[in-house]
Amino acid sequence: MEESIVMDDVIIEKEVTTNVAISVVVILNNLKDSIEAIFERLKLLVEQYPDTYEFIVVDDGSTDGTLDFLKKIKDTFESVRVIKLRSVFGEAAGFDAGLSYASGEKIVYFTGRVRIDPAGLSKFLKRLDEGADLVIGWRHPRKDSKLNQFISRIFNYMITKPANLKLHDINSGVLVAKRNVLQNIPFYGDMNNFIPVLAARQGYRVVEEQIPQLSGSFRKSRYVSEYIQRFLDIISVIFLTKYSKKPIHFLGFVGAIFTIAGLLIEFYLFVYRILQLGPIAGRPMLLLGALLLVIGIQMISIGLIGEMIIFTHAKEVKEYNIETIIE
Amino acid sequence: MKKESIKKMDISVVVPLYNEEENVDILYRSIHDVVSQLDKTYEIIFVDDGSKDSTFALLRAISQKDPHVKVIKFRNNCGQSAAMDAGFEYSHGEIIISMDGDLQNDPRDIPNLLHKLDEGYDVVSGWRKNRQDGLILRKIPSKIANRMICSVTKVRLHDTGCALKAYRAKVVKRINLYGEMHRFLPALARIEGAEIAELVVNHHPRRFGKSKYNITRTFRVIMDLLSLNLFIKYLKKPLGFFGLIGLIFFLLSLITLGIWVVGAYNYSNTIAESNVLFTLTFLFLVSGLEFFFIGLLADLIYVTGNKKKMYLSKFIQ
Repeated sequence: MEESIVMDDVIIEKEVTTNVAISVVVILNNLKDSIEAIFERLKLLVEQYPDTYEFIVVDDGSTDGTLDFLKKIKDTFESVRVIKLRSVFGEAAGFDAGLSYASGEKIVYFTGRVRIDPAGLSKFLKRLDEGADLVIGWRHPRKDSKLNQFISRIFNYMITKPANLKLHDINSGVLVAKRNVLQNIPFYGDMNNFIPVLAARQGYRVVEEQIPQLSGSFRKSRYVSEYIQRFLDIISVIFLTKYSKKPIHFLGFVGAIFTIAGLLIEFYLFVYRILQLGPIAGRPMLLLGALLLVIGIQMISIGLIGEMIIFTHAKEVKEYNIETIIE
Repeated sequence: MKKESIKKMDISVVVPLYNEEENVDILYRSIHDVVSQLDKTYEIIFVDDGSKDSTFALLRAISQKDPHVKVIKFRNNCGQSAAMDAGFEYSHGEIIISMDGDLQNDPRDIPNLLHKLDEGYDVVSGWRKNRQDGLILRKIPSKIANRMICSVTKVRLHDTGCALKAYRAKVVKRINLYGEMHRFLPALARIEGAEIAELVVNHHPRRFGKSKYNITRTFRVIMDLLSLNLFIKYLKKPLGFFGLIGLIFFLLSLITLGIWVVGAYNYSNTIAESNVLFTLTFLFLVSGLEFFFIGLLADLIYVTGNKKKMYLSKFIQ
């Protein structure tokens, strides 16, 4: 995905301080009305801290003139960097782009769609200082439609359940994390919703913190295809977190069940025919058995292909995450 | 592996540990007593595989006293293969010795392993001839697994599962250890062209802590063996493997077609028989083709992957 991001122009190069303490990455899409309010509150947030900070605003292909507003804001704030994406690439791509420009040790990340009060993020930063590696937001109380809430609850359950995590709002779109956490987890595509799961998987301390939602207009409901895409993402995350380096353990298991079932059926029919208990040609079981056999062997083969990919290509992908080395 | 080239030493002892707090001190002392007498430069690398007990605190205390000791701590439990992989990656020794952290291996065997290695081998594997473990739960499954591993990998060893082994770093650093592949290290080394030998070593019963072995791994071991078999025989020409399966299915489709033709010639096919034979013929034909394509895909994967120099029969010293 990363290659497909086309950055139009990176405005402001001169005033950006390198090695700041806090990088705030904001992703905006057609939000010109609330930009100023967001930045007022953001200013409140960062000014609570004596640390240096920077804002990285990713304009995800807005068409309503958001960019002009951003240019104006750039004049009032000290270190704002604006990254404009050529068209709408989505939150994950925006996050990736923003992160690659962020230089802070702590990363504050949120998207415009979630409608929260950024000043409330100070609680999050405090949790980070208390030893957490990643703090995910929990929009509570929520103000958007019951349907939205219902859907995000289902997704939350589907994502957190297999990972054994007790989080309430994993796709809240608000998180604060240490920089090395985000750098150490492999995410791509639309995986930004799964960052907490992937981080917890690596052994980082993931906690959640409530943040109230502001009232106002919310994004319109999504397309059905978007939900299907997210569902497939969930499957691939489960697969990648559990079996990323041993695809044969998963595919081989399912394939073996299919193959054995097929063999048992065919064996039964074979015995049936040998004992001359009746014709077997008209029995659907015959085809079912053959089909199961074929599919089972194919699944094992695909698992083997996965193993080959790992064996020949994944030399750099390490299965471990080192916390400290003492020499 | 860029950072390692700076300092070189003779021997690295790599020990993965997981919740072994009772064993750490004795283990360190027994390794130290042996290795420090060898008149060679050495390091001892303990890999703490995300222990929940005080293993890491004890290791840190040891490393503060002894500059030869290096400790790698994982954030979470990643398994023995990953721990060994990390230990190998961060080692500087020309020769690497791996052993278990449960005191069942005896460090006093290390000099013998080194002698054997000097005879011109690349890997020397320990053989626990007098194994001090339960018969039913440990020894018998281990024997069966060893048989299977030997027959698949064609590396004749009595005890592939013994953790006490010595390797030339050149060989072992080329191997990507993941999943539960540490079990097949000699076979993986053989893929790299290594010369392998074995040597009888001591084995002690477990004194402290619990064994981390569990018997439900059998299925995964079988699956790993299946893929290992593919790597050993067909890594460079996977089409040969998948094409063979495809060919079997082609043959099956020919057989069902033949049965139908014979029946049609004798006018003895019922409608149900004709239907089922035709369906089977096409099912087998299509899946045969599919295996052929999977094989082509596998070829593509090999060609684009890192080229392993498998023509080396022996590593040049």
